[in-house]
Amino acid sequence: MADKYLKKEALEKLIAAVSSSGGCFIAPTTDARQVVFKSVEKAADITHDYVLARNSYKEFVFPQTEVVATFAVRQHGIGLTGKEVAPKETVIFGARPCEAASLSSLRAVFTWDFIDEFYTKREDRTIVMTVACTTGDEACFCTTVGLSPESTAGSDVYLKETADNGYLVQAISEKGKAFVEKYAAVFEEQAGAKTKKLFMPEKIKGIDLAKITGRLKNTGHYDEPVWAELTRKCIGCGACTYVCPTCHCFDMVDEGTAYEGERRKNWDSCQYDSFTLHASGHNPRDTQFKRWRNRFMCKFSIYPDKFASKGCVGCGRCVRVCPVRLDITEVMEELSK
Amino acid sequence: MTDNKMNNIYLPQLVTIEDIYDETPDVRSYRLVFKDSTLREGFDFKAGQFGLYSAFGLGESTFCIASSPTRKGYFQCTFRRAGRVTNGMADLSIGDTMGFRGPYGNWFPLDQWKGKNMVFIAGGIGLPPVRSVIWNCLDRREEFGRITIVYGARTVSDLVYKEELAHWGKRADVTLVQAVDPGGQTPDWTGKVGFVPTVLEQTAPAAENSIAITCGPPIMIKFVLATLNKLGFRDEQVYTTLENKMKCGVGKCGRCNVGDVYICKEGPVYNAAEVKKMYNDF
Amino acid sequence: MENALRKKAKELLESGEVKVVIGYGWNRAKTRATPVFITKPEEADRLVFNPLCVNNLSVYLTRKFKDIAALGRPAIVAKGCDIRNIVVLITEAQLKRENVYIIGMTCSGVVYRQELWKGELKPEIMPTKCGNCDVRNPHAADAVIGAKSTFVPPDAPAGMVFNKIKEIDSKTQSERWGFWIKEFSRCVKCYACRQVCSLCYCERCITEKNMPQWIETSAHPRGNLSWNLTRAMHLVGRCTFCGECERACPVNIPLNLLNQKMIMVVKDSFDFKSGYDEKTHPPMIVFSPDDKEEFIK
Repeated sequence: MADKYLKKEALEKLIAAVSSSGGCFIAPTTDARQVVFKSVEKAADITHDYVLARNSYKEFVFPQTEVVATFAVRQHGIGLTGKEVAPKETVIFGARPCEAASLSSLRAVFTWDFIDEFYTKREDRTIVMTVACTTGDEACFCTTVGLSPESTAGSDVYLKETADNGYLVQAISEKGKAFVEKYAAVFEEQAGAKTKKLFMPEKIKGIDLAKITGRLKNTGHYDEPVWAELTRKCIGCGACTYVCPTCHCFDMVDEGTAYEGERRKNWDSCQYDSFTLHASGHNPRDTQFKRWRNRFMCKFSIYPDKFASKGCVGCGRCVRVCPVRLDITEVMEELSK
Repeated sequence: MTDNKMNNIYLPQLVTIEDIYDETPDVRSYRLVFKDSTLREGFDFKAGQFGLYSAFGLGESTFCIASSPTRKGYFQCTFRRAGRVTNGMADLSIGDTMGFRGPYGNWFPLDQWKGKNMVFIAGGIGLPPVRSVIWNCLDRREEFGRITIVYGARTVSDLVYKEELAHWGKRADVTLVQAVDPGGQTPDWTGKVGFVPTVLEQTAPAAENSIAITCGPPIMIKFVLATLNKLGFRDEQVYTTLENKMKCGVGKCGRCNVGDVYICKEGPVYNAAEVKKMYNDF
Repeated sequence: MENALRKKAKELLESGEVKVVIGYGWNRAKTRATPVFITKPEEADRLVFNPLCVNNLSVYLTRKFKDIAALGRPAIVAKGCDIRNIVVLITEAQLKRENVYIIGMTCSGVVYRQELWKGELKPEIMPTKCGNCDVRNPHAADAVIGAKSTFVPPDAPAGMVFNKIKEIDSKTQSERWGFWIKEFSRCVKCYACRQVCSLCYCERCITEKNMPQWIETSAHPRGNLSWNLTRAMHLVGRCTFCGECERACPVNIPLNLLNQKMIMVVKDSFDFKSGYDEKTHPPMIVFSPDDKEEFIK
């Protein structure tokens, strides 16, 4: 499919077209002094001047709290009903190339052997419209983990801003191609517009991913004092895991009254001490550095080795959100030694 | 089922509590049957597998299936009142409804052990997973050699499956050694007094052509492994089941992993050689 | 000032008087201050102090950090506002005064919106607490570093938080309710507010107590409201308005408003402000016949 062109003012039409066909349009918008992914109804609500949205768009494929079943006490036992999801077409506009690479990672976890259809059904109906970065900040490190603003992995439609206030549009996946065809009226033929210069974060020299993964593979590293030293300042708040586009941990809880209720699947964080606490009182990850080590293992050993996917896409959200500025790249650097 | 009907991996099946056994003051066993008759007939599992049991309104908890797959039409679980879910479960009565998801995980490779002598070593609430294998072996008695059971608990009242212990003790084709920790004995206690690893060493089952299966508190397992090695057992001959906290049971929720190993999917059954290769994250 | 701090830290470590100095250092790019734990005298030069040193390090003195406690007696680099939290910890028997060495730093304010820092302190990038600070000269330190501050806080507290409280107070009850429901609706239940707070030191937080489940853990309106209100209530008469919870909140819930409002209520009802005197117990845990009884009607 040849490249298309999208005028910024045509976003209005695109939103209207998506909504009128029953879909939902998610874009970066400003709320409480932050740029966040949220459902928008008009183009004017979209924020264009941002590095990344504060939240990852994973919440639209893997909601923060989700009912999986409802139950009610009946005269003869319990009435139990599984929740069905029938997701709408969901367009994520303004994702960045780094985070676009995260859905395949989440999908790998949610589909190995057992298939979590709450996830897959939503993801199947999600169109990721990536806008390549023209700005960035010091927390960005996509180039260090093998991605860049030019990566199209995970994007359904990849957009580059043009100098004349529009976007150069490339349909990447089959889903993306079908999307561009479905809304053909909104897109124009490419007019040869000049694209803006992309922001390319400098690759952090001291970091060697292969070395990190190799070192993590050797089980002996668990007892190295480096973990406690590097992560001593971690306060275990878990904010990193909530903004991370690849963190997938969740809890299952029952809520309701004595007569009826629902079972929910809620985001959880491996950084909490109660996360792995056994009822007996035993806790395999009883100190913060063990929990931090586990998250790092997940990103740089478990995801790459077990799920053949990226655990860390270098979006830098965890660095920006950390109240004690525990910078994962500083740990990566140390473990590259 | 229509095509667009969702396959919900978190949806439990309903089971009825058919019978309740109070094992100790805080440990109970439930005999469970599926409400659905097709499931009841067709339910199949292997010794060592686990499930997630629901007390509706309180949540789900993970335990092994404590009965033997050779016993059809029902299955059993044994649990100790500890947290929110197990307390809720303990408050239920015969005829009440629970939820069950499973069976999940791998199992003890019994089929590879034909002709072997079996040594079972358990401590406290660690007996239930081992009991599934014990009955499995006893129900297929002719396939196995000598059967030795070493079981200990803190006190006499903490011993679970007391009736079955009495039965095993009477059987000529089973060697049963029972023990309680020092100070846990009653005046009429006829078993041993001592910790499980010590009692195991005194019992000294022969390592040759044997398989040992152990389950209990982490500290007990550690010393039992050392004792077994001393008795000549190689790590490949020793099996255990690692039970970590789980919420999903199907490799998604991120809780049970030991380093890069997901216990719920790749375990919970491992031999000692495999355990020793794992990350130190127990 | 930094030199004096490093010298002090070095002395304390060399003499063995303390085993660790909890202070601030640079991140790799030298753009943000980040907590550091100095255990060797030769590492004392990593310590820095500047307006980016916004963290309230007193959280590391709580029992939440067993591995830090295991390092041995700590010295802590603390601004006056941070010391107020240490004082509350001492009052509440979480810490013995003699078990910590407080290196008090005179302070001219910190930067709340660090992305706007251009090397110069301006009111618009500073938190409200700094403009009203009466502890720029640390009040309970073992050593004070830095030149004496002559800053005098305004008689009537002023700044963004106070203006906003006035604005909310002037609303009707249902408008106020609407305001908070909307703000809490963003809560993601990450509990960063709790973790960063040195006064949230409970071994088991109420959110983790599930027999019964006091607070629903789901991030839905019920769960969010009960969590945020319960935490605010647990801080009544204790919170020092250090602002760490709002700073840590990844979704910008204006927790400062809630906590400062409570501080004003406590001041009004009991004439008490926390964190100044370790001998005075907070009003919620003492009874006095003079207590106001306006709530009995």
